[in-house]
Amino acid sequence: MVTVLLPSLLAHESGGRNRFELEAATVGEALRALPIRNLIFDEHDDLRRLVNVYVEGVDMRDRGGLEGRLAAGETIRIVAAVAGG
Amino acid sequence: MAVLVLAGTRKGLFLLHGDDARTRWELEGPLLTGWSIYHAILDRRDGAVYAAANNWVYGATVQRSDDLGRTWSRSEQLGLPEESGLKLEAAWHVEPGHESEPETLWLGGDPGVLFRSDDGGSAWEPVAGILEHPTRDRWHPGAGGLCCHSIQLDPGDANRLYVAISAAGAFRSDDRGETWTPVNSGVAADFLPEQDGPPEVGQCVHKLLLHPERPERLWQQNHCGVYRSDDRGDSWERLDGNGLPSGFGFGLALHPRRPDTAFVTPEEGAENRVTSDGRLGVYRTDDGGASWSLAAQGLPEPAWAAVLREGMASDDLDPAGIYLGTQGGSIFVSPTEGAGWIEAAANLPPVLSVEVARTA
Repeated sequence: MVTVLLPSLLAHESGGRNRFELEAATVGEALRALPIRNLIFDEHDDLRRLVNVYVEGVDMRDRGGLEGRLAAGETIRIVAAVAGG
Repeated sequence: MAVLVLAGTRKGLFLLHGDDARTRWELEGPLLTGWSIYHAILDRRDGAVYAAANNWVYGATVQRSDDLGRTWSRSEQLGLPEESGLKLEAAWHVEPGHESEPETLWLGGDPGVLFRSDDGGSAWEPVAGILEHPTRDRWHPGAGGLCCHSIQLDPGDANRLYVAISAAGAFRSDDRGETWTPVNSGVAADFLPEQDGPPEVGQCVHKLLLHPERPERLWQQNHCGVYRSDDRGDSWERLDGNGLPSGFGFGLALHPRRPDTAFVTPEEGAENRVTSDGRLGVYRTDDGGASWSLAAQGLPEPAWAAVLREGMASDDLDPAGIYLGTQGGSIFVSPTEGAGWIEAAANLPPVLSVEVARTA
């Protein structure tokens, strides 16, 4: 079991839930199980450019990206990049 | 009865509730916080509200509410096929389908794409006749992207509809959206290299509207002038030579019953996109665009405002109400067909779109 934490807009779009506990072997598997999957992945199943993902506080890019393996009890945090105006 | 104004803004959706006099307004919102609402509309067939919602991180979607904005559901499927090599950049305009197709909706988007939904806005399929249009390689994005911003249905013929894309031009379908004919004959595209007359496509339509009482009549506010067509877009007449300070502008509204009456908000020009002559000026024609007069009593002066392409609307009351939203965050209403204006809301985020509906 891993935990996924969502920022406020994604939590709102998930019916108010900002925390999901899932069975997932990889980061991608965990993210694709979320009800807001189509907000963080585009129509070609690419992670949107301004969506950052951290696993245990480490940028997932430094842990194998979407294919990175997860250990039981780890926490994934989705963070919107600093952007916009 | 009551009047509901849906104001899409860069920071959410606002609703303005008014009575039939349209002189007192109550503001509700923001709704859909975190989303830029490029356009929102109430579907008069079933009372649902649809919003073309965009977020710079999470992309484009369509939100639907069946309770006038208290709760929302997001479209489940919206995107472009991988083989197209394109991705959806923004959702621009939602148009409820023909009365005879109660579950059908249309959605215009960037990059120059049209979608159709047959399940009330949950799943959207790209319209191949636009996505794979043989002239697509001659379409060019403008400052707002390659946006499909205008979708107009012929109320008397469910087979016929129109779209306008900036800068690709206007297109007509006579077979429910299967195939699309460019309808830009006589419409200038001065920003393109000099050629022998206007091109087949590539025009920068800023807004296209069909008159519901005379559906063969179309109006467009273009990058290069104001135009009217009386033959379903087969030919266009340029109209901005008599009384308009400029042919450039974005906003366009039509009188609901009088096909010769239209309203525009001219701007100085493409390189200085502020209202003409340092005032927020609405101009009205009652003779099909042969002449125009200023209809700005109650509008601010001096003012260097900007009204975007979805920023004008009209209701169907008598007298007709005309509505105007500015990038400065104001909503102006004229309950008297342009004879006088009141500021119904101020200090909103930049207004991207205005629509109006009647509610029980």
